[in-house]
Amino acid sequence: MKLFPKVTLGAVWLLALALPAPAFARGEFDPTTEFEQHEWVSIHLGPLNMSITKAVAYLLIGTALTILLGLVLMRGKTLNRRQTIGESIYEIAQVQVAEQGLPGKAIGRWFPYVASLMLFIWVINLIGFIPLPLTGETWHGVPVWGIYAATSSLSVTLALALLTFVFTHVEGIRWNGPVRYFKSWIPEAPKALLALIVPLEILGQFMRLISLSVRLFANMLAGHILILTFIGLIFILESIVLAPFVIIVGSVFYIFEVVIVVSIQAFIFAALSAIYIGSAIEPEH
Amino acid sequence: MIATVLAATTGDVTKAGKAIGLALGVGLGALGAGIGIGNIFASMIQSVARQPELRGELQGIQWLGFALTEAVVFYGLLGSILAYVLV
Repeated sequence: MKLFPKVTLGAVWLLALALPAPAFARGEFDPTTEFEQHEWVSIHLGPLNMSITKAVAYLLIGTALTILLGLVLMRGKTLNRRQTIGESIYEIAQVQVAEQGLPGKAIGRWFPYVASLMLFIWVINLIGFIPLPLTGETWHGVPVWGIYAATSSLSVTLALALLTFVFTHVEGIRWNGPVRYFKSWIPEAPKALLALIVPLEILGQFMRLISLSVRLFANMLAGHILILTFIGLIFILESIVLAPFVIIVGSVFYIFEVVIVVSIQAFIFAALSAIYIGSAIEPEH
Repeated sequence: MIATVLAATTGDVTKAGKAIGLALGVGLGALGAGIGIGNIFASMIQSVARQPELRGELQGIQWLGFALTEAVVFYGLLGSILAYVLV
């Protein structure tokens, strides 16, 4: 009897390949259209384009939810279950993020930043996996529900990474003075090698900006494209027989993203921000 | 099936090249990241087996390493998508 599921799966697979005549004909489905930004409310200030798009709407919802989460979970007179959840989030932010990266003298100033960064990115990532009627498309007048994360737009993650980048250097200069801070970029090495190492160190400072933003952006983008593509296989191969297969695989990816990737990425972004700011405040040499 | 192959040889080859490039970029990126992530979790299992009391401390470092390594796939993916869209 153990063979039965395998045989069924094989049969479904073969049937799916055999049934549709134009099996390899490309359908109308294109997953990249899900990530286009359309201006819903046009706001132009000179050269600045501050229009409200899908990503902005998600960011606004995320901001409101983050504030609400802070108020609900962390304010209260008596200790109850809500506060226990709040305290466990606080403990992760303090023990795993702030104390790992920031030196003791700077925790008081920078703990609020890294903690709110963690909570904010976590909330935005999470509402990216809850279907909301914000796709901007309508089906017979009814808004279509879909999933989209604001962090799967490079502008959003680059703005967050720029915050950390600016704070890093401002704090480095404020605590050490400009001369000592920029001197700390030059590692101890033979004089002949310095001409090679110093440009690499300076390049490395800017690579942090790219790696910080692209990591979050590409993770969320790839997660959404993966789920969309698996569901979209029904439309690309034009065969409904594939549905049980693709829905199972799509759901597995969905659960993987929601349970692991969403939290890990929020944690990593905050932890790396803390480490970068901490290493600028206290350079190693 | 044969018709598809024939169509590929006579049809638009640039498209095929772009698709191969996209797949190769992501695939090779995933190869490296797969080895790296395997190494991280293997080391984590070994460390916890030797000193179980360090599990809490190691977990943060483990996830940091996991995310740093995993990101390599996405650099490959990004490069491939850029090549796919721009070329």
